[in-house]
Amino acid sequence: MIRDYAARSREIIRDEPGVREAVTGATIAFDEKRRKGYAEVDADAWRRWAEGVKNHTLTHLDHYLTEAEARLRANGAQVHWAADAAEAREIVIGLATRRAVASVVKGKSMVTEEIDLNPALEEAGIEVIETDLGEYVLQLLEEPPSHILGPALHKSLRQVQDLFAERLNTAPDGDPDTLARAAREVLRNAFIDADMGITGANFLVAETGTVALIENEGNIRLTTSLPRVHVAVVGIEKLLPRMTDLAGFLQLTARAATGQPIGCFVSLIQGPAAEPGDDGPEEVHVVLVDNGRTDVLAHEHAWEALRCVRCGACLNACPVYRQTGGHAYGHVYSGPIGSVLDPGLLGLHDAMPLPFASSLCGACEDACPVRIPIPELLLEWRREAQDEGLTPWKERAALAGLASVATQPGLYRLAGRIGSRLGARGAARALPMLGEWARDRALPKPSPRTFRQLWREGIE
Amino acid sequence: MSAGGESSRERILGRVARAAASRGRLSHPGALATPAAADPVSGFVKCFTSSGGEVVQADRGRPANEWLTGFLQALEPGVVGVAVGPEVPAGLRPRLPDVAAAHAGAGISVAWGAVSESGSLILPSTGTRAVQLLPPVHVVWVPEGRVFARMEDALRELLHGLPAAVGLHSGPSKSADIGRTVVTGVHGPGRCMVVFI
Repeated sequence: MIRDYAARSREIIRDEPGVREAVTGATIAFDEKRRKGYAEVDADAWRRWAEGVKNHTLTHLDHYLTEAEARLRANGAQVHWAADAAEAREIVIGLATRRAVASVVKGKSMVTEEIDLNPALEEAGIEVIETDLGEYVLQLLEEPPSHILGPALHKSLRQVQDLFAERLNTAPDGDPDTLARAAREVLRNAFIDADMGITGANFLVAETGTVALIENEGNIRLTTSLPRVHVAVVGIEKLLPRMTDLAGFLQLTARAATGQPIGCFVSLIQGPAAEPGDDGPEEVHVVLVDNGRTDVLAHEHAWEALRCVRCGACLNACPVYRQTGGHAYGHVYSGPIGSVLDPGLLGLHDAMPLPFASSLCGACEDACPVRIPIPELLLEWRREAQDEGLTPWKERAALAGLASVATQPGLYRLAGRIGSRLGARGAARALPMLGEWARDRALPKPSPRTFRQLWREGIE
Repeated sequence: MSAGGESSRERILGRVARAAASRGRLSHPGALATPAAADPVSGFVKCFTSSGGEVVQADRGRPANEWLTGFLQALEPGVVGVAVGPEVPAGLRPRLPDVAAAHAGAGISVAWGAVSESGSLILPSTGTRAVQLLPPVHVVWVPEGRVFARMEDALRELLHGLPAAVGLHSGPSKSADIGRTVVTGVHGPGRCMVVFI
């Protein structure tokens, strides 16, 4: 276990109370918009359709990856394959250094966070500028994103005012409009000066080799249009068979994420500028990244998590995520989807105890546009953790004890009598694991007579 | 290349194929049936304007380029220089000085088409991307007969001559990343205006 989710959560709630307030407010607002966005269409039918398309794609992924590669090459783009994060970084840095790239602008991308691309580029002497407004704020603060969609949603206006006053010389009480204008000025020059634009992809369409990107700010349109080289880093699970599939996914993803009918800007990129008059990049590279995805695909249950379109709807619906935001989870994919994806991508041992960071209320599954059975997958990872001895020894001992009491009538009677004398709170405190659970809870007073006694006497 | 000389490509494709074979290959559910608006133009206007886009009526009694010139000059702040996409015919170009997109007060484009159900403009890269993205105001001429009811219909048609890149613009550039307050014109145009032709 490399991270301590429980300790990080406690620290955030205790030391940074503003995070809980900001994250809860923002996610509730997102979730309401998502509900409204779903209500405007036949969302159940759309979600079933999207689940079917993704299941088809994932079970034909070899076919569609090969088709996308051939199409991209025919369009004049170059395709690279990366088995892991190190290889993906090496490919991108190799491309940048061979083209004497001095500065890079980036569109928001989870996969480039996953492969730790920015520090590697900086180490190679290349300037990296995040251009999504929220990501730009976080880059100045040297913090990782806290949410897939609103990377800086855990930050208050006050915090951004202080940051921009110090770094961009804005007035200490500048309103969001003024702050955004200041950032726009800095970033506009960055777009014009940059030699390379790096993005992720929401989808990659096999039929046409189309890299599809959804956003609201326009920074991804600029990142993929102005620099002379565009590199798209794409997880292999992002494939869609046809353009007609993309039509549905563009709209469903936007509705799940923000309730919008579609993002304000969608870029559909087939390859480098080819026609006269086109001022786009001279080179387009697509880096297809595995980095644990084929392990997830081979897993009997977890493969369903690869349907994920990274809309953030499950984070917004999750009562547990709302308390801390994403940083407590310790990995780039947080919230409910992170808790089922991370054990597959990192290995269960390294992702512990994330499958336990859930109340299993099921809100995530109801919100998910591709119907990933997140609670079921969490239970599956918990079962595996139990089987592999990855749960705390106290918990294993307590469960073994409970099993032996419950299967032996004599012991069960004895335990019942002790419990009713001690009171539930006393009994719980005396037992391993339950003590922690009972610490913060008010428990009902037990009946002075056990159920068995009442049964014998005839229940009234 | 990974150990044993097997390339990452072969390794990834091999692992993917093995996973698929053990699971069984599932079939595609077919097309998603979304309802088609009876009047695509009014559907487009409703969706586009509710996302913050603007639809402007040209004065049909005057030549289009004359009307546009006056319209741009009357904006606040008034437009002095414009960047015009190469696809815009002479009759639709305002009589204002051409300047580089980065310094233009407005960008002028002609859309390949539009989509009613999502309120989107379809802008091919041949229209030069800088014109569509850098000026603070983007004015887009849209042929009324080119408004598709559904995104699927538009993308299917687009397959016949897909350019290197296509932008779907469905309103002004916006962000709520600072203090959860929506601001417009963050990176792309803060005003996106449609004029039907």
